[in-house]
Amino acid sequence: MEIDEAPQKVDIAARIVTPGTAITNDPAFMRGHGTFSEHDTIYSSVAGVVERINKLVSVRPLKQRYSGEIGDIIVGRITEVASKRWRVDVNSRQDGVLLLSSINLPGGIQRRKSESDELQMRTFFAEGDLVFAEVQSYFADGALSLHTRSIQYGKLRNGTLVTAFPQLVPRSRSHFHTLPCGVDVVLGVNGYIWVSKHVPASKVEANAELIYSDKNEPISDDEREVIARVANCIQLLNRMYVKITDTSIIFAYDASVAHPVKDLLKHDVAVELAHNVMAYLEQQG
Amino acid sequence: MASLILSPAEQDYIIRGVESGFRADGRGSLDRREVSLRTGMISQANGSARCRIGNLGVGTDVLVGVKAEVNSWTPGEAEDVGSIVCNVECSPSAAQEFEGRGAEEINVELTQLLDRILNGPQSGLDLKKLCIIPKQAYWVLHIDALVLDVKGSIIDTLVWATRAALMSTSLPRVVVETIGDEMGNMQAEFDVVDDPEDLTPLEGAENLPISVTFSQIGKRYVVDASEQEEAVTQARLTVAVSPAMEICAIQKGGMLRGFPPSLLTEILETAQRIAREELTRFKTHYDNAKSHFTSQADEPSTGSTFLVQF
Repeated sequence: MEIDEAPQKVDIAARIVTPGTAITNDPAFMRGHGTFSEHDTIYSSVAGVVERINKLVSVRPLKQRYSGEIGDIIVGRITEVASKRWRVDVNSRQDGVLLLSSINLPGGIQRRKSESDELQMRTFFAEGDLVFAEVQSYFADGALSLHTRSIQYGKLRNGTLVTAFPQLVPRSRSHFHTLPCGVDVVLGVNGYIWVSKHVPASKVEANAELIYSDKNEPISDDEREVIARVANCIQLLNRMYVKITDTSIIFAYDASVAHPVKDLLKHDVAVELAHNVMAYLEQQG
Repeated sequence: MASLILSPAEQDYIIRGVESGFRADGRGSLDRREVSLRTGMISQANGSARCRIGNLGVGTDVLVGVKAEVNSWTPGEAEDVGSIVCNVECSPSAAQEFEGRGAEEINVELTQLLDRILNGPQSGLDLKKLCIIPKQAYWVLHIDALVLDVKGSIIDTLVWATRAALMSTSLPRVVVETIGDEMGNMQAEFDVVDDPEDLTPLEGAENLPISVTFSQIGKRYVVDASEQEEAVTQARLTVAVSPAMEICAIQKGGMLRGFPPSLLTEILETAQRIAREELTRFKTHYDNAKSHFTSQADEPSTGSTFLVQF
């Protein structure tokens, strides 16, 4: 609590705190997110890093739920089929909503959704299905409204899901990457990351039925190994708190080739690889 | 066991992966995840251990405490043995489905399983050693397990933690005296020595079995199933094997389908082989945990040791 004794001298920012840690008792400061004040002292209410912007003190949590913004590309899991809508788990405080009117029908037919469409909603998305979607708008209660009105959005198949901290996936121009190792990666801003076998977009465009298909393409053992390697790389980046982007994944993948896939999540290997990635990213600026 | 729902495409990916011997995280069918083990973390208990099975600090996490109590004999009970009382509780913070009354069923299932492994002649523990004076007093070992996190293979983690807790258990010394009363009858009396230094380790704890749980997925099976793999498991079989390589308990669970007899024989053979490897692994981890417990201050701390520690 050296801070309490000499608040003016010590920079209160860039300090790791746990809930209940006194940050400052200097009345000049204002309390921001992740803090509360009691008896003129500002305490942290979350575990994280103290940040200060002029007189505003806030704590950025190490672990947080996804808070959506319009235009975010996300991956979600259908939890419930309701009337004219699906509820989608998006790793947020509340489930997102995908309206029947915000999906594309197979074959790209443009028309109003009828009652018969409503009856066969489960043929489009059923409980447990993973969707690749974009945040369209907010509802009044803050829930996210999603849409899949693009050929690249829709149901995900041919691969495996990796869950990461949402704050490690930065918003960027592109969230769908085909890595040089022949694997497609969907970096959902909500921390859900889909790693799958590369399927050329032209194939889906040619066969409209594939948008809502549950069937996987044939996946060979070699392809499985590459998918597992990428998935494990993302997993270890996440655990070592490294930003997850296409660059960091590709670098981690290349650095990991010396180790067998099943060893990538072992403590020593993971620490070594993550440090290499961090050094590389720092060098890149 | 978990309430995780996977999409048909994910299920197919996992099942085909298992059938071709290459799991979603790159492991082979019989590969296990990393283990962290610590003992003696509960100072009020006679023995305790915490075990986590999983990589990089995420995994199934079980905390076990053993508390010994002296019980007086009541007619109807076995005359010259002590007893073991198990209780397993799944914390609601471990998984959403454990909230409210959701954990009741799994608590009972795990408690029964642990009881079955420990409370028979096959457990390796000599219950007669827990008797203080026949028909008068005996030790009761209360084994309380708390499941703190669930990421697949909860049974094996529970057995690891319990085994470590019992191995680290030591009981206070008991002095038995025989004195005669006025009538000339000889009567045995006992006294528990109240000295934290004067303890004797629990005898026979190193003979306790270790468990290997097999999950049938598609046409094949895996050990140490992950959370996702458990969601597509059609049948589960736990085999407990003693250090003498004897199979001492088998329990089926989560049966959506039966095991084909040929697969069952294969599993029992594999179980013994894996149990041998697991026992060696257990010994290394247990010895590490013991030395860590005595020399905690010397442990070098690096930026990511938190991933292996608790």
